[in-house]
Formats: sequence, structure tokens, C-alpha cells
Amino acid sequence: MQQGNFKVTEIELANEHFLPEVIKLLEDGHTVTIRLKGFSMRPFLENNRDKGLLERATNPQVNDVVLAETPPKHYVLHRIIKIDGDIVTLRGDGNLNNEICRLSDIKGKAIGFYRKGRQTLDSTNGRKWKIYSWIWVRLFPIRRYLLAFYRRIWIKLFGVI
Amino acid sequence: MKTKPGFNLRDVCGEKIIVAEGKENIDFSNIISMNESSAYLWEQIVGKDFTAEDLARLLTEEYEVDEETAYTDASALAEQWKNAGIIEE
Repeated sequence: MQQGNFKVTEIELANEHFLPEVIKLLEDGHTVTIRLKGFSMRPFLENNRDKGLLERATNPQVNDVVLAETPPKHYVLHRIIKIDGDIVTLRGDGNLNNEICRLSDIKGKAIGFYRKGRQTLDSTNGRKWKIYSWIWVRLFPIRRYLLAFYRRIWIKLFGVI
Repeated sequence: MKTKPGFNLRDVCGEKIIVAEGKENIDFSNIISMNESSAYLWEQIVGKDFTAEDLARLLTEEYEVDEETAYTDASALAEQWKNAGIIEE
């Protein structure tokens, strides 16, 4: 042992290594809490601030937020916007582009989010999430402008939502 | 001192990490990494009452280290564990 070699630090693990472990635990029937990274689920979810509570995905539906592998070894936590047979179309709430994957690439489903360091869960079955989802999905035609306004003006004046 | 219940040592992608685990949920949102020697100590004392002296003794048994250094390191580690919220008095 080297002297002074102890370290108790909080670390971040790389997604492509870490998420397969998470998926294994989901498949074992656990639920898993993970810290969210990236800006693709704005405006509701914020990079590195919020957490997601995931369970194994059984029978994914349109509007579910799912952990999907968009091969090879790339993972996203995005909303399903279309299911056509085996082909699933995903789009992050903060994105304008889509991803395509197969049903079998859907590895987990978000059942709620812990926002702003709170201990209470905003459940995806709850009113708040449903109302937000209903509105935000319908605003897609003007999403480009809403996101630009949010990023360039709102956040500068008021901070993140 | 005692380890708090629900904190388990896991090996994820070759990293030894402490993760908060309930019966169902596993919380990866605040993970604490352990190097080899602190992971070794954790495995020895998990679920037991222990003192900094116990940690120091475990260190001198496993590693080539004199008692004084072991005690200094063990006390520092126990303090860090306490700050990280994974052990209690």
C-alpha cells in the first residue's frame, strides 16, 4: 500500500461501460436510479442535476421515456414518438432529430424523475408529467423556436426551469 | 463506528464502487469509488462495529506498512467515509 493512497471520491462512469451494468440490473428485476447527463430532455430534465428512476421495459408505448441502445453501444433516454411493428422512433424532448431502433433495443423505462435535488419523485404516471408531456409534444412544430428562446434568453435571465 | 445498512461494494466496469441499495432499487446517482486498499477494508468491516484501530490492524496484516502510518491512514479514511455518509458512529 502506498501512503496516502486512499481516495473516497464521487466518480462518473462512462455511459458505454456503465449503462450495460444498469441494464443487467434492470433485467434482474431491480429498479435503478441514475443521474441524467446531457441536454436532450430539456426543458423538464437538466444535465447532471436531475435523476431518473428506471425499471425494466415491458411493453413500451408511445410517450414512454425509455433507455434505448441505438447501436452500436450508444445509449439514449428519450421519448418514444412512434412504434411501427418492430421499429421504434425516439426523440428527446430537447431535440429536433429522431433516433430509430428496434423494440429489442428498448432496455429500460423511466417511471419517474427526481428534479432539482428533491427526494420526491415526479412519477411518469403523475399529473405534472402527463400535462407537461401533452403540451410539449404538441408544441413540436415550434419546438425549434421554444428551445432557442429557452437557451438564449430564458436561462440567461431566469436560469434553468 | 459501523457501516450504514444498504451500502454495498460493487464491481462495475472494473471500478470498485459503493452503491446505495434497497431491496429493489439500486441508486447509482451518487456513487463513491474505492481504491484497492479501501475496498479491502470495507469488505472486512461491512456490517460490523469497528474502530480506526481495527482498520489500522487490518492494514498492517495485509500490507507492508508500519503501525503509525496505518493508524494515520485509517483515521483519515474513516473520516472520509463519515463525510461521504456511508458509516455512522
